[in-house]
Amino acid sequence: MMRNPFSHPFAKFLLKKVFFYLIVAIVALNFIFLIPRLMPGNPVDQMIPPGTTDLGRLRLRAELEKYFGLDKSLQEQYIAFWANLLRGDLGYGVMRGYNFRPVADAVMAKLPYTLSLVVPVLFISFFVGNWIGARAAYAKGKQGEAVYFTSVLASQMPFYWFAMVLLFLLAVNVRVFPTGGTFSPRFIPSLNLASLIDASRHYALPFLTLLIITTGGWATGMRSMTLYELDAGYILYARQLGFRNKKLVSYAKRNAILPQFTGLNINLNNLIGMTMIIEVVFRWDGLGALALDAVLARDYFMMLGTFLVTMVVVIFGNFLVDIAYAFLDPRIRTGQEK
Amino acid sequence: MFELLVRSRKFITGAAVVTAIILFGIIGSLLTRDPLAYSSRFVEPPSSEFLLGTGNFGEDVLAQLCTGTRNSLMIGAIAGGFATLIAILVGGIGPYKGGLIDEISNAFTNVVMVFPMLPLLILLAAVFGTNSMLLVAALIGLTSWPWAARCIRSQVLTLKERGFIDVARMSGMKDRKIVVREIMPNMLAYIIIVFVVSLSIAVLTEAGLSMIGLGPDPSTNVTLGSILYWVLNSTHVALPWSLWWCFIPPGLILTIFLVGVFVIHAGMDEVFNPRLRRV
Repeated sequence: MMRNPFSHPFAKFLLKKVFFYLIVAIVALNFIFLIPRLMPGNPVDQMIPPGTTDLGRLRLRAELEKYFGLDKSLQEQYIAFWANLLRGDLGYGVMRGYNFRPVADAVMAKLPYTLSLVVPVLFISFFVGNWIGARAAYAKGKQGEAVYFTSVLASQMPFYWFAMVLLFLLAVNVRVFPTGGTFSPRFIPSLNLASLIDASRHYALPFLTLLIITTGGWATGMRSMTLYELDAGYILYARQLGFRNKKLVSYAKRNAILPQFTGLNINLNNLIGMTMIIEVVFRWDGLGALALDAVLARDYFMMLGTFLVTMVVVIFGNFLVDIAYAFLDPRIRTGQEK
Repeated sequence: MFELLVRSRKFITGAAVVTAIILFGIIGSLLTRDPLAYSSRFVEPPSSEFLLGTGNFGEDVLAQLCTGTRNSLMIGAIAGGFATLIAILVGGIGPYKGGLIDEISNAFTNVVMVFPMLPLLILLAAVFGTNSMLLVAALIGLTSWPWAARCIRSQVLTLKERGFIDVARMSGMKDRKIVVREIMPNMLAYIIIVFVVSLSIAVLTEAGLSMIGLGPDPSTNVTLGSILYWVLNSTHVALPWSLWWCFIPPGLILTIFLVGVFVIHAGMDEVFNPRLRRV
């Protein structure tokens, strides 16, 4: 008889996670349906130019409501919402520069810019921060301590303010980096060295800002975890047996780093939000800048679309982190999770 | 618990720093001129008349800084209180009661934990509008409780296992009495810390939200974030970041405040987690 593939502990774990994140996605999407309908007033009111006569306002409102399907009953709207969503239709952007272009296209065009900051910062800060934290725990030297405290203090700065300080120091006073944007004005990027250099000069400051701010958080966690592990029975026993210090530290680090991986979830969520605000300061052409433009122009479809895609990216990222964690933690891999 | 905290040097240092910032906001805003009094002396660097220079509309930056600190702390306190309250309701009652309520409240927290809160806050601020400081505080509180709920939940779970709660239950004490008499006094120090950290997160969030123009109306409300908003939207200079006297002070105040709270938190960690005390 064939074995049931779902009896494997890892398959069980995978199924559980898929189920959990599906629920999260459904809750989130319902929320996105509800938000504009809970708000005071009518979303199309914002689209009517100020100066319109009362009669014109009524007619225009009726016309716009019909156009966006807001004249239908709530049930019908709900079904239409899901049907559109499953077809990848997020509505059309009405703000300037997006004359009825599909929101999905506009958001997808900006997403790579935001992710190009979020993903490298997430992983590099993880490695650097954990390395600094572990060193502060086992090395007795002053140097390790100094690096640790500097990174922890730096992580307490307001990230958007630190972005402004870096701009002031490195773009206004010493003109090493450009003052913002993704590429130089009137620069047409293509696949050559000049484009790469131009892009990385614009990339450097937002990247550094986020990296410096996020590193300290990992360091504090890693330091206390490593201290905890160095105190554990197995280390004391190994020390009695005469293991070299280097070996002991490597054992402690291996166990200390494991819980740190669970922090990737929450850090991803925070980092996406931080990046969106940083983008405004650096005029980086990503989701955050798009979201703010949409908010200021009162473009509801663009606003909701940006948030929806951010949400889906975060949920998917969380799912990937959980799966990766299962590969790293043998207790989950073999199903002996308590 | 309190005796241990008061003996911790970190806790005392942090508390002193935080108190100094609070006093700076309250007393400073009484002593300086009207932060919204505009003059024709636009964006002037610091002088003996204007100690921190003037801003976009010729307003006194020092006055803005003091009032901004006070208002930001106020928003932070309301938002932090709100977040702590939700956290106690969601994270405290569930594990104490156990069973279905615990399952539901924990599942709810886990689901909400996945949400990216800052983008959600931007969306809510845009949809509901943020005319008043109270509304901003409410929205920030509404989007920042999951972390606090987690902390309180884990604390209640460890507390529940202690012997004296069992003794109280066996002696026939009513649930409400156990919560008020036995659990609350032991939780109080912890809840205060959760509140202070929530407050600091809320202050940080408010300034960021206001900086991009989604906080309380920056032309009538002075907060640390509104000062940054007017720097980014300055019409007087091509490069807003050259107005260092406008944007360095509010960020410094925020940094000092956040470091203060961080040190309080570190002091608390050492009290609750004695292993860390070694170093």
